[in-house]
Amino acid sequence: MRDRIEDIALAGPGILLLALAFVLPLVEMLRLSIVGADGGVTAEHFVRFLSDPYYLGVVWRTIYLSLLITIICAAVGFPLAYVMARVSPQMRLWLIVLIILPLMTSVVVRTFGWMVVLGRGGLIPFSLWKLGFVGRNFTLMHTEAAIVIGMVQVLLPFTALSILGVVMKIDRRLEEAARTMGASFLATLRSVVLPLAMPGILAGSLLAFTLSVSSFVTPSLLGGVRLPVVASSIYDAATKTLEWNFAAAQSVILLIGVLLALTPYIRLSGRRHG
Amino acid sequence: MATLDLTEIVKSFGSTQVLHGISLAIESGQFVSLLGPSGCGKTTLLRIIAGLEGVTRGSVHIDGRDVTGLPPESRDIAMMFQSYALLPHMSVRENIRFPLRMRRRGTRAEQDDRVQAALETVQLGHLADRMPRQLSGGQQQRVALARAIVSDPKILLLDEPLSNLDARLREDMQVELIELHRRLGLTTVFVTHDQEEALSLSDVVVLMNSGRIEQVGDPQTIYASPHTGFASEFLGSANLVPVKVIEGASGPQAQLPNGETIAVAVGTKPHGETHLVLRQEDLKLFPAKPGMSGDFLATVETRVFLGARIRYVLRMGDLRLKCLAPASDDFSAGERVTVRLPEGGAQVIST
Ligand SMILES: Nc1ncnc2c1ncn2[C@@H]1O[C@H](COP(=O)(O)OP(=O)(O)O)[C@@H](O)[C@H]1O
Ligand SMILES: [Mg+2]
Repeated sequence: MRDRIEDIALAGPGILLLALAFVLPLVEMLRLSIVGADGGVTAEHFVRFLSDPYYLGVVWRTIYLSLLITIICAAVGFPLAYVMARVSPQMRLWLIVLIILPLMTSVVVRTFGWMVVLGRGGLIPFSLWKLGFVGRNFTLMHTEAAIVIGMVQVLLPFTALSILGVVMKIDRRLEEAARTMGASFLATLRSVVLPLAMPGILAGSLLAFTLSVSSFVTPSLLGGVRLPVVASSIYDAATKTLEWNFAAAQSVILLIGVLLALTPYIRLSGRRHG
Repeated sequence: MATLDLTEIVKSFGSTQVLHGISLAIESGQFVSLLGPSGCGKTTLLRIIAGLEGVTRGSVHIDGRDVTGLPPESRDIAMMFQSYALLPHMSVRENIRFPLRMRRRGTRAEQDDRVQAALETVQLGHLADRMPRQLSGGQQQRVALARAIVSDPKILLLDEPLSNLDARLREDMQVELIELHRRLGLTTVFVTHDQEEALSLSDVVVLMNSGRIEQVGDPQTIYASPHTGFASEFLGSANLVPVKVIEGASGPQAQLPNGETIAVAVGTKPHGETHLVLRQEDLKLFPAKPGMSGDFLATVETRVFLGARIRYVLRMGDLRLKCLAPASDDFSAGERVTVRLPEGGAQVIST
């Protein structure tokens, strides 16, 4: 019993902070989303969003770009995590530092870097032009490709480190055993490491997906106004057209989407640990 | 079934050399034990045969073919790990099928038959659909064994496969291993640090010490005539007594530090300084009764009851001797006893 009281005392400040910083705004957001122009309860904001092809297009773009970003992060993150898990401890430390270093700089700074590299006359378009792969000096800015490239760079560390945690726990002798049973290196990777790393790949992918659907800075800066995603649409409603109730309704929809994406995972990992 | 030839194998990890030129020829179908104390390089040598570890120098031939540079999957071997290394995400059946699947042996139906046969060999048919974590240690060990034999490998490599089992299960498995080997005739390399296990299971015992081969021979020979002090101590946990060999009136005699002499095996050459080998179980104890030649008086210092046998530590002047006697020869600590040495004279180390 005494333990229980001490637990509460220790967790108290954190819980209080969470309540103030997270729960209160959330409640306020839920309230705003169902308040109509006349001050009464209404679903008009939700109906407006879900019945307008423009907004449905925004949702669709957000989802498929996030899926694409997630798949690329997992596909690049798994081999990266495997190599990191199997090199010497010093080498691994260096690789982790190398991967975490970009996280130390602001997303805005990193995204600005991409704007320079992807813009007209930037390193990539300019090289492609000079090497003769494209006919003219063009820009990659304000394309979905730019959003994907920028977001993968932002999210890859999260995915790779989630997978690394799981791959580190895979007993190396299982791979050796597979090799003595006739499996080549690639066959071992596919039939032993990949299935055992799956929990980490799922967790990392989910992290990438949820961060990706709700991200704002990188898609807005690299995609521009003609390629809005849900987060930038919320931003516009809240700051440009000043439709707070509509912004709140969009936020609730985004939140529900993220929670829906999380449920199967929570249920899965709950079963594993419980 | 295949021959295995190791030639001048040297292995270094960084600047530490752990194998110093191992050469060994194993005939087809033999059961060979690599025996030696922990850290002497047995596992390293086994991993080199498997291809899991490269050599620094030397070569490995399986069935006359040089496989030194080949990866494990191209060597047609099977290895059973000390930790069993069952794949945790596959059922028992899938684990045993794995080598067949990876080596593309036969159709799905043929694979099923072979998996079933292997399961029955280790008497695990009823557990085929369990996951490894649902099995006891002994059952996991059998699955690992079934998985190792199912693909009919050229060489079967076993790294201390019985060391994680309790004593009873261990004895059962030893018997099963012998029967399995007799039935399948697989060329088998078996790593152990347990001398009894090595002597009871093998056709050939390879005794290793600090990365070198100390002695190779069949169990009887290697037990009866160890060539070195290390061999005799390790194999029988024998007592080594420093002696001088002199030519006495009735044949060669060993002179103990206290001046007493005892007869040694006929044909032993006189020798300035060597060691007398007195195996623990060769010493016979009687109630103290001075008289007969070849008998020595000693005092029981320690008595350890082992069930069927009793281990004594005896003191004879400055010498301490370990002795393993049947439980019927029961003496208490402090008692005076007569020690009788084996008939036909004791052995001395020939080097
Ligand atoms: N990967 C490795 N790196 C460095 N040293 C090793 C490695 N593997 C084994 N050794 C060393 O080689 C020696 C022999 O080890 P091992 O073959 O495992 O002995 P055994 O199986 O006879 O107990 C030991 O001293 C061990 O510390
Ligand atoms: Mg070992």
